[in-house]
Parts: sequence; structure tokens; C-alpha cells
Amino acid sequence: MTSLRRWLGSEWLTTRVQIALGLLFIAAALPKVADPPSFAHMIYNYRLLPGGLVNLSALVLPWFELLCGVALVLGIWSRTSAALVGLLLAVFVAAIGVKLARGDAHDRGCFDVRDAGESVAERLHDMRMVVLRDAGMLAMVAQVLFGAKYHRTPSREHGV
Amino acid sequence: MNLRRHLLEAATLLAVAVVVALVSNSLASRERKLKLPGDYPNATTVPESQAARDSSAPSQAGSPASPPATVGQGIARLPSKGESPSQTAAPAPNGTAGGAAASSPSKKTPGGVAPAPPSPSPAAVVAPAAATGDLLSRFPPHPDRPYVEISGEDAARLHAAGVPFLDARRTSAWGEGHVAGARPVSVWESDVDEKVMALIGELDGPKPLVVYCSGGDCEDSHLLAQKLWGAGFNGVLVYRDGFPDWVKRGGAVRSGTNP
Repeated sequence: MTSLRRWLGSEWLTTRVQIALGLLFIAAALPKVADPPSFAHMIYNYRLLPGGLVNLSALVLPWFELLCGVALVLGIWSRTSAALVGLLLAVFVAAIGVKLARGDAHDRGCFDVRDAGESVAERLHDMRMVVLRDAGMLAMVAQVLFGAKYHRTPSREHGV
Repeated sequence: MNLRRHLLEAATLLAVAVVVALVSNSLASRERKLKLPGDYPNATTVPESQAARDSSAPSQAGSPASPPATVGQGIARLPSKGESPSQTAAPAPNGTAGGAAASSPSKKTPGGVAPAPPSPSPAAVVAPAAATGDLLSRFPPHPDRPYVEISGEDAARLHAAGVPFLDARRTSAWGEGHVAGARPVSVWESDVDEKVMALIGELDGPKPLVVYCSGGDCEDSHLLAQKLWGAGFNGVLVYRDGFPDWVKRGGAVRSGTNP
């Protein structure tokens, strides 16, 4: 048990997970940064935000994701960035969870015509897979935070 | 102390994200720019999916329709199937066009409201058109509601009669292929209001105007129809099945930057 804790908290693992998490967030943010109207459309389809906040969220969220991702890769403010990434993931999971609870598979037909042919069951299945993926990324966040706490030194605190 | 430092770091990241986002939006091209704040009626209302509407349609036949949808800012409550339009009609937002169409004897049903049952559409229940004049008379102005949904068959007839078509999808999708003659007016791009204003001077508000998007659960055409209705267009017809259906039917398609 102690060796598992030591391995989970090792600097070697934490650094790699942190970089992988950062790269995943950068990769997820770039298409949204490149095309904010599509992301606004996606946010609108969740039917959770008031109309006045849809565009603002579509503009700010991708840049926020991107900055957190870059911070994780570079090891700058890594604990804060990991916590923020965890918060974002929790919000995404909650949003998809609300959609799943509503049984609302209303999505995507406007972006890609091929998706419009998917059945409701297929779309709900896809959404469950996204929740699983995000849960995996949340586990990565937990590892980074655990590793940072386990191996906390002044140099690591500042990502040097 | 540590928490304070983390909160300060988080606030800094957020502030930088806000500044960079606003700067990049101000520098973005017309198609990538977003209007602030957004203006989306019914942003928190969960619509019934096309599949659900299709599956529930037979059981609704002959029974009163579900409660009418409310359609957002400054937009009137829509009449339900069994309800007279005059019971729920509100004046058009800009006061154009009276309620003549709503009480028109030629209007056999007040159906076809948003979202309409898949069949029969109001256009489909009236007699087939023989000439352009007859065809256009089948689609009278409807100042009491933002739009009426039409089938692909009617869309083809209206296209042949020279009725203007508007493509509510993204301009990039329009460039890849669109109904011949259709103009791009994407509700997701920052210049949508300017384009709608330009149409006011160009098109006759009460005359039919067809809008379409990708069909299925896509709502872009409905969102655009609501915007057009708010600007005084009382003859907006939503081509329910949209561009994929148009292609399937072998309708005239253009691509590139010309309508």
C-alpha cells in the first residue's frame, strides 16, 4: 500500500500525467479557440446557460482551458491549474449528466450532417462515453494534486 | 495563506483568458466573431427532439396538441393546434401587417407552429398549387407566429416560383454547398443582425421567405425565423428537413461564394 502511494506520488509519474493532461486540454481548446461560433452553438445545445451568457462563455472558456493546459505543460502554477482543470471537468460532467438525466440527445445535427443520422440511443451512448473520458481525466487531475502534495518542495511549488 | 495564493493565481488565469478572448474576438473575421452579449431566445428551454416528435406524432393525431411553446423575447405565445390564432396572436413586434392572415378564411388550420408535428404541415393540407400566384397564396402572412414549417415538396415548388431562400447554417457550410440562390445568414455569426436589417430594405415583409439549415434536430433555421419575425417578416417558412433533404431530392445546389 505504501509502495503504491509512493509510486502514485512519485515525481516521475506526476510530471508525465501533468504534461499529458495539459496537452489534452490544449488539444481540446484549440478547435474551440479557432471557431467560437461552433462552440457557442454547442453550449447553446446544452440548454443550461441564459442566452446572454452563451457567447461570452464560448469566447472565454476555450482560452481559459488553453491557459490552464499551457500552465500544466510548463509546470507553472501547476497545482492551481490542475485544480481549475478539475473544476472545468466537473462542470462538463455535470452538464452532460443533466442532459443524460433529461434524456436529451438533441445535439450536433447542425455541425455534422452525418451525426444527424444517429439514433437517440447512439447519441446517449456517445454522451456516456464522454462522461467516462472526463472521469478518466478527473483521475489524472487527482493524481497530479496527490503527487504535488506528496512530493511538495519549494521548487516543485513553482514548477521549476 | 496558501488558499489565497491559489485563488489569486486562478483569478489571474481567468482575467488573462477574458482579456485574450475579447481581444481575439475583436480581431476575428466576420464569420468567427461572436456578438456580445448573445441573443438566443429559449436558451434554457429543452426542445423535443425530431425523433421524439416523429415517434409521438401518430399518438397525437386527433387529440389536442401539447401546450404551445413560448418563443422568447418579444415573441408571442404560439397557438396550439386546436386553438384559434386570434386567441393567442400578438401584434408583430414592429407593428407591421395586421391580423388579416390569422383570420383568413383560406387558412384551414392554425397548425405548423414551432415545433410543428411532422405531418401534415399546414402547407401540405391545402390544395396543390397550379400556378405561382396560387402557390404563393397558399402561404399567407402569419403575423401571429414566427414561422410555419414546410415540407421538401413545398420548398421545391417555392424555389421554382422564385421565393427567396436563406441558409441559416454557418457560412462555411453554405460555401460547401447550398440551395441554388440561397443567401447565407448564419445565426451564429456576428453580422446576422446586419444581414437581417439589409433584408428589410430588400424583401417584402409579408411575402414568403424560406429558411433552412441541416434539418433533423438542427434549430438554426428556427432561430433565424424568430429573428426575421422580430424584424417584421411575417411570411417566414421553415424548410423542416433542410439541406440534406434538398440534396436527397436532387434540388439545384451551388457551392462557392456565389448564391
